[in-house]
Amino acid sequence: MTNESTNHTTITNAQRLSNCTEDELTAELLRAGMSSLMFAEVVKRYQKQIYYHCRNLLVSHDDADDAVQNAFIKIWQNADQFKGDSLLRTWIYRIATNESINLIRKRRPNIDFDEAQPEMAEMISEDLYLSGDEIALKLQKALCFLPFKQKLVFTLRYFESLTYAEIALLTSTSEGALKASYHHAVKKLEIYLNVLR
Amino acid sequence: MDLENEKIGPAYAAPDTYFKDTEMRLMQRLGIQNDIQALNVAVEPGAEQQKPHIELQTVAPLDTTGVQKRARKQDPITSKSSGINKELDALGNVVIPPLTFTTNENPEWVNFGAISEEVSASPESLNDQIKVVSYGDLLTNVESTDAALPASVETPMEEVAAPAAIPVPEITEVVETALPVIDQEPPVVVHEVPESVGLDELESYLTTKNPLLADTAPVPVAEVTPVNNAPQPEPLNTPRAVEERPISLEAPATAFAPIAGRQKESATPGWLGVAAALAAIVAAYFIWTAIQPPKLDTEEVVLQQEETTQPEAPLDEPVVTDTIPDGLQLVEPLIMEEMPKYKEPNVYTIIDAEEMPERTKRALQDLEDHNLATFDMEDELFEELDFESL
Repeated sequence: MTNESTNHTTITNAQRLSNCTEDELTAELLRAGMSSLMFAEVVKRYQKQIYYHCRNLLVSHDDADDAVQNAFIKIWQNADQFKGDSLLRTWIYRIATNESINLIRKRRPNIDFDEAQPEMAEMISEDLYLSGDEIALKLQKALCFLPFKQKLVFTLRYFESLTYAEIALLTSTSEGALKASYHHAVKKLEIYLNVLR
Repeated sequence: MDLENEKIGPAYAAPDTYFKDTEMRLMQRLGIQNDIQALNVAVEPGAEQQKPHIELQTVAPLDTTGVQKRARKQDPITSKSSGINKELDALGNVVIPPLTFTTNENPEWVNFGAISEEVSASPESLNDQIKVVSYGDLLTNVESTDAALPASVETPMEEVAAPAAIPVPEITEVVETALPVIDQEPPVVVHEVPESVGLDELESYLTTKNPLLADTAPVPVAEVTPVNNAPQPEPLNTPRAVEERPISLEAPATAFAPIAGRQKESATPGWLGVAAALAAIVAAYFIWTAIQPPKLDTEEVVLQQEETTQPEAPLDEPVVTDTIPDGLQLVEPLIMEEMPKYKEPNVYTIIDAEEMPERTKRALQDLEDHNLATFDMEDELFEELDFESL
């Protein structure tokens, strides 16, 4: 009887977590902490987004895979440091961004994030899991000609649809600077896309 | 192309199987796979009445061929072997404290050579004369011969020391008895003396115990037992005419290094050492000059640093900031090869990207492709990210 009631409670919790909105999930995390059930729900909910975000930044599938794994491990280990000052999604994106930056620094210790990495464009058409959309591939190649900071802002805003407020929290930058940066990135990418056509 | 109006989709599309595999790998790395599996089973419809099924991980037998096994010990009685537990086995070990010497003076050294051999008696010289007497035999002999023992006649015929295997820490009891194997008169008195007793102590003991010995000089055994013509063993510990040499703790006059032997003086002349030192100094000088950077380069660097140092502006001056009109793109071409005396980027051009003709765009792209120009947009993004600020 006790087991049955326990099972019933577990099922309810699992279903309730999967049906939670993001705000409710954040509140639940702050209230009950990061349980294995909660972590499984977080992984299911954000894994794809985090992978594509890391893939946009790192281009290489293997690097993106490593960054995602490391990011979720850090989320599991540092869940008690989440204070709820931002959305859970913002916090997760920030950790994933940090892991991507760390991975780039590992690959190229002398990298300058104010400069573009055009050599990464050559890797795109040879890697795994491409959608096959030519314009999308061109956009990815054009992104490699942007400085990393502009690339990050554009990726978060354009592909992940984060608000400027979230990106400002994630990057510790003012919204005005972000808007200007995004605007510059868009204009520059349009130039590149017109040239690459 | 208008990026903001024409939405371009993602260029990557990973299959769902990849995400499932990634999720499984992640759970395995964190060790929470069993929890998740149990929860997944429980979520299935109709599973409310069943207990969550958790698969127990079965450990396959290890193939130990070629693997060195752990040390084992075998019981000699049961012939069973068991693994050695070093911690438990260490409990039975006896730790022997280090041997310490105490002297009255100068504890730094002890001249062992000054100790006479008589004090440290060698076992080889006594083995021939020692007769082993067991403790039980001695007791029975004491009972049987105590009454018949003549009290006045006690002649130290033979002194048998106890074997070394029987530890006797102190002189606890001295048994005076006669050995039954000797039938002739006078009776033989056996003294059991532990090895730790020195000759001086034994002598003083015998003189106090037997006043005859104190009055008379050491008497040979043959004189005491004239009747006995059989060859008698020589008295073992009868007081021998040995010169008493005091133990000297003073250092000998010679060099106190008997093992190493006497140190010979070096035959190398002194001027050779001086020459070697000078050669080492000259070599060090050449090495030092070889590893120094060129002097001219260092001076140039210092001059360049002085030139580039600019006086700081006073703090009360208003800071002039550039305002960039909306919709305009700041482009900073740095034409490096066409400006040989180039020092700082001093060409700033504001270009409206929307009004830029197609030829200009391609020309700018060609410039950048040939490393003739660099287009950059400045911003103040990104400090180091950390967990604490969120």
